[in-house]
Amino acid sequence: MSALSGILRKENSGLRTRLLVHGAGIILMAAVFWVFISAVEVLRIESRESDKEIQKYLNLNKIDFGDPLDRTLFREALDIFYNGQTQRNDSVLTAIDNLRQRQFSDPDYKTGEKQSGLTWNMVKRLSGMFLQFIAVYGIVLIIIYLLAQRIAVYRFIKMKQHRESYLTQALDLINNARANQLGLISWSVVRKSVFLFMKALVKGMLLMLLFSPAYVIAYAVKTTIDTSSILFMILLGIISNGVLIHTANKFFTFLVAESRKGYVQTAVVKNLHASYEWNAPEGIPLRTLLNIKHGFRSHVFQPIFFNARFQFIPALKEHASFLVTGLIIIEMALNIQGHFCYELLQQILYKQYDIAAVIIFCIFLTVKATEIAIDIWEHKEKRKYGY
Amino acid sequence: MATKTFTGNSWLSILASKKDLPWLTIWIAGLGVLWIWDALFLNAPAFARLQIAFLNSLFTGVMVVLFSLVLGWFVGVSLHMLEHSKSKVGFAVISFVTDILRSIPQIITVLIGYVVLTILLHNGIIRSSFVQMLWIAGIIAIAVFLEVADTIRQRIDYFRTLDFVDAMLCCGIKERRIINVEILWKNSRSHMLHKLIAIFGISIFLQCSIDFIISVGLSTDVSLINFPMTLGNLLANVDSKQDILALSNLFTEPGYLPVIFVRHLQGLSVAFCIVFSLLCIYMIANGFVRRHKLA
Amino acid sequence: MNERKYNIRISSEGRELVAIDDFRLAKSAITVLLGESGIGKSLILLAIAGLIDPDELDVQIDGKPYAAYLRSQEAIDIRRNGFFVFQEPSSHLNPLATLRAQLREGSLAKTHDEERILRKLWQNSTSSDIESILDVYPKPYRPSGGEKQRILAAMAFKKMAASAELEDSTFIFDEPTGNLDNRLRNEFLDLLIENFRDRTATIVLITHDYSIISRFASTYPAVSMRILYRELMLERGKLHLRDFLPGEYLSWLEKRNAAVRTAKKTETILRLHPDIEIFGRTLSISRDKEGCNLEPLVIRKGAVTYLKAPSGTGKTTIVKLMMGLIKPEKMLMELGSAVYTEKTNRNAWARGVWGKQMTMVFQHADESLNQNSKVKDVFSGLPIAGPMNERTIANSISELFEEEPSRDFLNTKVKYLSGGQKQRLNLLRSLILHTDILILDEPLNGLDFASAAKVITKIEMKLQSGIGVLVISHNEEIFDTLVAADDIYYLHSWSPNCTMPDTSKR
Repeated sequence: MSALSGILRKENSGLRTRLLVHGAGIILMAAVFWVFISAVEVLRIESRESDKEIQKYLNLNKIDFGDPLDRTLFREALDIFYNGQTQRNDSVLTAIDNLRQRQFSDPDYKTGEKQSGLTWNMVKRLSGMFLQFIAVYGIVLIIIYLLAQRIAVYRFIKMKQHRESYLTQALDLINNARANQLGLISWSVVRKSVFLFMKALVKGMLLMLLFSPAYVIAYAVKTTIDTSSILFMILLGIISNGVLIHTANKFFTFLVAESRKGYVQTAVVKNLHASYEWNAPEGIPLRTLLNIKHGFRSHVFQPIFFNARFQFIPALKEHASFLVTGLIIIEMALNIQGHFCYELLQQILYKQYDIAAVIIFCIFLTVKATEIAIDIWEHKEKRKYGY
Repeated sequence: MATKTFTGNSWLSILASKKDLPWLTIWIAGLGVLWIWDALFLNAPAFARLQIAFLNSLFTGVMVVLFSLVLGWFVGVSLHMLEHSKSKVGFAVISFVTDILRSIPQIITVLIGYVVLTILLHNGIIRSSFVQMLWIAGIIAIAVFLEVADTIRQRIDYFRTLDFVDAMLCCGIKERRIINVEILWKNSRSHMLHKLIAIFGISIFLQCSIDFIISVGLSTDVSLINFPMTLGNLLANVDSKQDILALSNLFTEPGYLPVIFVRHLQGLSVAFCIVFSLLCIYMIANGFVRRHKLA
Repeated sequence: MNERKYNIRISSEGRELVAIDDFRLAKSAITVLLGESGIGKSLILLAIAGLIDPDELDVQIDGKPYAAYLRSQEAIDIRRNGFFVFQEPSSHLNPLATLRAQLREGSLAKTHDEERILRKLWQNSTSSDIESILDVYPKPYRPSGGEKQRILAAMAFKKMAASAELEDSTFIFDEPTGNLDNRLRNEFLDLLIENFRDRTATIVLITHDYSIISRFASTYPAVSMRILYRELMLERGKLHLRDFLPGEYLSWLEKRNAAVRTAKKTETILRLHPDIEIFGRTLSISRDKEGCNLEPLVIRKGAVTYLKAPSGTGKTTIVKLMMGLIKPEKMLMELGSAVYTEKTNRNAWARGVWGKQMTMVFQHADESLNQNSKVKDVFSGLPIAGPMNERTIANSISELFEEEPSRDFLNTKVKYLSGGQKQRLNLLRSLILHTDILILDEPLNGLDFASAAKVITKIEMKLQSGIGVLVISHNEEIFDTLVAADDIYYLHSWSPNCTMPDTSKR
């Protein structure tokens, strides 16, 4: 209640407008899906009625619709009863064929139990799967948020230390190596450059792992690890599909942009610490990577970090949406039965479009809820800093 | 500590100074090495499939980039114009629609597009692979074009905060020209190109993912063989999946490593092609940002 | 006088930005560094202060790599004991820390005298006013540019007070008065001299405000021996530092002041009624400084109208609403036979005013021009009858430049020009139009003395062709020589004690 009255206050009008837009979006989508689900239901009822009519023909004794002779006899009988209505009689025959085919392929007929779209049982089943999906999503999002900042800070500090990549170092070493009288490069240069190339290779492999789509990683370890476990899914959600590396890169971009701003120069002339060497007297202790929020006091990096973090909050929205994409891919591509998005694929496969629509709406709600939470968080941060 | 960069005017120093070019070179070289290896060790039909899959994915990716550029430019500029017009209705409607589109995960948009595509295929409305690829590119573009539209709006908004637009307006220069020529063409080409490189990467990722997903099946009437051969499609192929599964052997039997590069080449080549391309495109985009100081 | 001579080279990705062999810095003196903007003054002093990021630019000082200079005792001392006040106050304050926190950060935490310094810089303000400003998180719109500039100056003065006992310390002020009106500028200069008089600090004051020369000459003759005027200039493509004789400027000014200026009663082109409401504020216009006799602002053919006001009052806002760029809550403007009010649609300005009846030169040439355009393309898209070929463009450019521009110059991108060249192009783009009215917002920004004099002459020529000019400028000393007393107006926040003019005609 107090949160609601807070939102209604005048200074929160910007947030209120955004929440209204989110709310309107949810209502509109709910209406669209409701119309769609209703339409699917109407079509299903119509189809059942029509199936009943056709079933009458299929129930006729002594006619095998797979037998060409029986089919011809049946067609001639139709022509006698409905003389001159060739088109109608063709349609009846096509409808009979379709129904027969569906009786082979449709799960409704195959399993023997009549699945009739969105039943209460289905809703209960979907709810459990949805809760599990949200739990995995929430955990992965939080871990990525924390991990991405640390990776970005580490990369930024390494950049400030002017360390070239291993590959660049290796190439530079070879490029600058002086050949001896025999025209050969010294053994130590060869050894060093091979070592650097190896390090570059390992780093490259790790990077490739972070860019690998989830299904590539999962299939590569499928016979060794239980890929349908929740823990593996969380791990895959974090490291695969490039989500972590892209999120870290976004934060890194903000750090670089902030480090070029004028207030950093002002901090330098105010004699705040400006060295980026690990554990140097005026540098940055390595352990601060564990405590990045409070670890950079008296250092010019502190305002850089806080300003980057401030801008990172709204940017989280697009990363959260991409993370949902990643999780959907994991659930779908790995055929993990009993998972929310795999269920979506199954429902599409069996043309249960109303259930598929409900699942898509739930996914839409998940993204919307994240956007709303981030908007409120951003608004609170802005108010804290007098915006 | 190594703090020195390439010295002199060697080709290395030229490459290093461009920042994005080394990764473009690595990408092309890596794919080249893979091509030679496959030409030597991969069986001819699989090699032909791999080449077609790569070219099809490349073509679709390029088309996604083109469609996104056109859509993004149109929506971005329209939103800006409508925001500053007398009536705000058009602006409210388009922003509302884009806001909803933004909240639908990209893969869901693409999936819905594929469901429609399977219906069109089933009904025989679409037949040619070329049209299918254009359709796929179109639906992926719908999922990603907002990134271009956002970049365009950010660029225009940035110049609006300066005296740039007002100063030109006061001199009688038309607003249309200020936005399209002075801001977007003359001042935002690097930003857009960077965004398009990133979109190319996303489109490869989405294409492969959706093709892999539909190997599970979107329709009982339409299967993988109805779709054009792409990297994702080829990866979802049973043979490729078996090849990737073989990687698990390395955990228990490291000596199996050399065998993998010869015996399980189809799956491995496709997976390498996808992952390596995603990595290189990311690096090219990052290098581009550094070279043009976009961050 | 003890001087340190520097040889400085600064380049970016192979392109030379600054190269000077004889940059001299006088120790224990105030150097007023003049010269058109963008010529390299700030960059040179940033390099000397050790504040350039070696990752961004390649710097060599005295033939040695910058890294070596940064490790030298000289650079360490400048950073440890001195201060640099940057010219862009907005971007040089951390938006996520209060001004109070920023004023007491790092080495400033140990120093005292904060209250004295702030009281001096915020003269006439109460302690609570100052306290309330210190609690603000700086944003682009709050506090004002002038207040931010004074906060940065206060940091420098705090450091100066702390290092009073040191033998030498270097303080660099880059355009420290750019956002201050004359009164506040004088307070700043008083504080500077007060802190400098009894000690041995090295102070550099980068400025385009030539009226500082008159101020120093008239108010502080006792320290004038320790004040040097130097001008950085580009001659035949080579940068060098020359001594600037204050007499050059003072005698030019004297000559202009000697001419008789009388208001010409020519035809009125524009009349802006003095009661204006915008952004919830009421602004008014008068001919008296106190603002009690409100009168419409009038622009007449062949005459200059000068609008004056303290910093932050809203001079630029007023001209922007005259140009239809921002929407006021209340206004009435008569332009020829047309009437423009708060209800007038922006399209009306687009159709009939912009580039046709009126044009405006904005104060920041860097923002107003397309940096990625070629010089000749700056004139593309203008509503001018007849073709604008390279020949006509070159002719126009030569009016404000030293010589006829070469083809290379016409094909140079604007971003590679000096700030002064940009400002002249910025002026030319509007001067080339055949409008009835020309509005100039700080037209002498970034110009050296020679260019400023040229611009004044060009404005006088334009006046002869019958154009009406409205000027906003901090350079009162210069523009007072161009305008008759009757054509000077003052902008105020509306005071309820004054009589509002009869606006019943509306």
